Amino acid sequence: MSNLVVKGKSGQELAAGSADQFQQYLTFLVGKDNFAIGILDVKEIIEISNITRVPMTPDYIRGVINLRGNVVPVIDLSARLDRHPSEITKRSCIVLVEVETHGESQVIGMLVDQVNEILDIPQANIQPPPDFGADIRTEFIQAMGRVDDNFIILLAINRILSIDELSQLQHVVKSQNNASQTDSSELA
Amino acid sequence: MAIQVSEKNGITIIAIQDDMTIYTASEQKARLSKYLHSGRELQINLAGVSEMDSAGLQLLLWLKQEASRHAIKLSLVRHSQAVVEVLELLNLTGHFGDPVVISANWNAA
Amino acid sequence: MSELDAAIQTFVQEADELLAEMELALLGLEDNPDDSESINSVFRAMHTIKGSSGLFGFDSIVAFAHEAETVLDQVRRGQRVIDGTLISTLLNCKDHTSKLIEHCLTEAEQELSQELKLTGESLIKQLGGATTKQESMPVEADSKRGSSETSETEGDTNGNDWVILLEFGPDALRNGMDPLSFIRYLKTLGDIVDILTSAPDLPIGEAMDPESCYLHFKIVFRGNTDKQGIESVFEFAEDDCEIRIIPPHSQIEHYLSLLAEPSDEDDAQVERLGEMLINIGALTPKEVAKALQRQSEDKAESPEQAKPIGEILVEQQSAEQPVVEQALKKQQSVKQKIAAEANYIRVDSEKLGKLINLVGELVISGAAMRMMVDRHGLSDVEEVAVSMNDLVSEIRDTALELRMVAIGETFSRFRRVVRDVSNELNKQIELKITGGETELDKTVVEKINDPLTHLIRNSLDHGIEMPEQRRAAGKPEQGTVHLNAYHDSGHIVIQIADDGAGLNDEKIRTKAIANGLITADQVLTKQEVFDLIFEAGLSTKDEASNLSGRGVGMDVVRRNIEALRGSVSLDSEPGQGTTVTINLPLTLAIIDGFMVEAEQECYIIPLSMVEECVEMSPEECEFDEIQHYVNLRGEVMPYLRLGDYFNNRKQHSNIHRESMVVVRFGQTKVGFVVDKLHGEHQTVIKPLGKVFEQLKGISGATVLGSGDVALILDVQGLVQFATRDKSRASIGLAG
Repeated sequence: MSNLVVKGKSGQELAAGSADQFQQYLTFLVGKDNFAIGILDVKEIIEISNITRVPMTPDYIRGVINLRGNVVPVIDLSARLDRHPSEITKRSCIVLVEVETHGESQVIGMLVDQVNEILDIPQANIQPPPDFGADIRTEFIQAMGRVDDNFIILLAINRILSIDELSQLQHVVKSQNNASQTDSSELA
Repeated sequence: MAIQVSEKNGITIIAIQDDMTIYTASEQKARLSKYLHSGRELQINLAGVSEMDSAGLQLLLWLKQEASRHAIKLSLVRHSQAVVEVLELLNLTGHFGDPVVISANWNAA
Repeated sequence: MSELDAAIQTFVQEADELLAEMELALLGLEDNPDDSESINSVFRAMHTIKGSSGLFGFDSIVAFAHEAETVLDQVRRGQRVIDGTLISTLLNCKDHTSKLIEHCLTEAEQELSQELKLTGESLIKQLGGATTKQESMPVEADSKRGSSETSETEGDTNGNDWVILLEFGPDALRNGMDPLSFIRYLKTLGDIVDILTSAPDLPIGEAMDPESCYLHFKIVFRGNTDKQGIESVFEFAEDDCEIRIIPPHSQIEHYLSLLAEPSDEDDAQVERLGEMLINIGALTPKEVAKALQRQSEDKAESPEQAKPIGEILVEQQSAEQPVVEQALKKQQSVKQKIAAEANYIRVDSEKLGKLINLVGELVISGAAMRMMVDRHGLSDVEEVAVSMNDLVSEIRDTALELRMVAIGETFSRFRRVVRDVSNELNKQIELKITGGETELDKTVVEKINDPLTHLIRNSLDHGIEMPEQRRAAGKPEQGTVHLNAYHDSGHIVIQIADDGAGLNDEKIRTKAIANGLITADQVLTKQEVFDLIFEAGLSTKDEASNLSGRGVGMDVVRRNIEALRGSVSLDSEPGQGTTVTINLPLTLAIIDGFMVEAEQECYIIPLSMVEECVEMSPEECEFDEIQHYVNLRGEVMPYLRLGDYFNNRKQHSNIHRESMVVVRFGQTKVGFVVDKLHGEHQTVIKPLGKVFEQLKGISGATVLGSGDVALILDVQGLVQFATRDKSRASIGLAG
């Protein structure tokens, strides 16, 4: 990741990273769209197992699973990208990533509909995210990767799985203004 | 001879002209004990004692004890420096009760 | 971790412990300034820290500790009186030392900060300044202590003189010994104050053998030497001479004080009585050898009548009765200390944590195995499985116990806080501690310190009134803060009670309305008003003192305690005082749980909170669905339908019969209505992680034997919710 310059807006700056260097990305399907994250962010990919629902949490928190004795939260990536929650199919997978917040690392699972392949994308083909036009929040996009003639969205994992944001369960619930959930927020 | 005996005014004066040490103690005891039965007052002149050790001191103590047992007077006179040193060291001058005259030429000797 | 790091770690830990001990000892000295044990403890702390710091090259600590040590040594020797001022200074020295240690750990390469330097210098000045003051009136100090040094300068007649008894044997002279020469030699070492020459056995008459020795000497000797030194004078005569050396009176005191000193902790071992007395100089090896010989001779004669070595030593006048007694006492205490130490092993808490995690896994695997056995109907395996399960439970309990520590140490630390604060505020406050032996998990103990500090400071600052006010109110001038702990149904309860002014609930109400926490027309019970204290931004004291104005409010206290799955409540009576009660789980690792199911999800309720389980039948209980009340055999309590509450239930179905679990928290009972009861379940508590930090009603998760995750209910939170709901309902009804 260190030589991946993605924040710069100017193409020149991007090109300054050695153009012939490749970066590997894991691509997966959410709904019908292909997304990718840097392979170095991926800890592990596991088959879908029994996900225990956690009450009073927003839709995008799918629940928790047992990962070799540890309880790991699973985020419904589709719901997190403001789409419909994923339907579990035979191809559904959980991509485990490690997120750092305040010096502590936490493993979080992302529910995706299908894991596709690992792609090499040369540095030169990485471009800054478009200012508009995508159907997902721009802050969730880290960059665009060009593969052949198609663009693939490289997700900003640290934004999508920001613990600070995910843990604001109550705000989200409150904003939905569901009667019974209002009760629960008063408990807080 | 290491011991000279003379008499004066009914007092037997015994001058010891020798060291009073472990080496001489036996002989001196044998010589001196005779006078304890004489019934006369004894004066022991220690001016000629150039060295005295514990044995010699012990002998004096014994003499003193025996003399008082036989009810005769025994005094030590003309202590030599060596004798005084021992008596002082052991705090015995009072025990013998005799005036000690410090001679001027001790230190020179 | 490198070996050096590990060593430093040990050093820090040790230093912490020593400093804590030092503080306690200092506080003890306030009440009892003559307690030599406490003085030694303070001295030892500084002494050891100085030594260990030297090993690591922490020069700043060495230099500072040295100053403190010097002063403490004077105190220990009775050259300086310990008073309130000195204790305060030493307490500050203790604080400064921990700061220095911290500095050496974090920024050892850097210079001491200006602040640290100044503090150190001023403390040294305070230590030293007191010395000169003390020196201007040495008579008082010395006459009080009767120290050996003064009596020496005053030329005390017998307090300082050795008495040497020499009884030469008959062969001494023949063997070339001359008693005179020994005495002359002795004279070179000091003054012969008095000498008594005698020959009590001098034979009468001719029986006297001029070559035998009959001389006895009793010598009063004054000299700057020790017993060993004196004995060496007569070394060559020892075969032919009975030698007894009686130490001066001051020397006996010296021996006693040496014996009173703790031995160096590192090489503490049970010394034999003789060795101990030799080491302090009260005996010489020869004297001991002789006594031992006599003992073995006695033993050979009549084994039953052989006397202990101490008695023999006293009989042969080698040692003095009090010295021997003291030595025996010390021997005993060292023995006990070693026995106690031998029973403890210092273990890295990380290792314990790992063990407990493994035990947790074992519990889960055990549950999985039992499930398999049940599923496959392996009846012959079942017996084994059951006994293994029992063993696992036992291992679990034992492993958890390893981490249990008494809360007393944490409580004791507050003595200092109470002392300092009451001085600062000019209040008279006594700290009373009970239940210090109550045990709880070390990880909980570590985290409870901050909230406790805050609560106690609150009591000191806002609770206890000024002495005049107390007198005016007809209360004793000295206020009391009482720390108490006890176990209650799988929880530890910690109470902080003061007999101060108490809380004015009207004032809290007004403030809460002003802050928008409640509306003016809201009707609250007294308890609910007090609960408002724990809401953010509510302080009843108008001006903030520098004690409580530290940016930590009661809301933080509550949050910290809730993070430990605990709860806190407050009760107060105006004019009588305030009691804060903290409820904490005993452990954060494994609990006995009771598993229930609601809408296909399994939940764990801590078993200690379960009162009973009821099959719901109209004969037994009667539900009031509007007000959420259940009448169980005449007892009315609120209930909560878990499925509804967690919003999992899509539609209300009454296909199967529901059950109710009655839980109790504190005095309150609540019914949880569930679909199924699964029974007891050993529950390994897994944290849910930061994502769910703010989730209410759920306190953690656990892994079931099937590998699935089940959530653990936060019973307190749910009980509070249910009872609030109830009161709200009743208010609604009334209004």
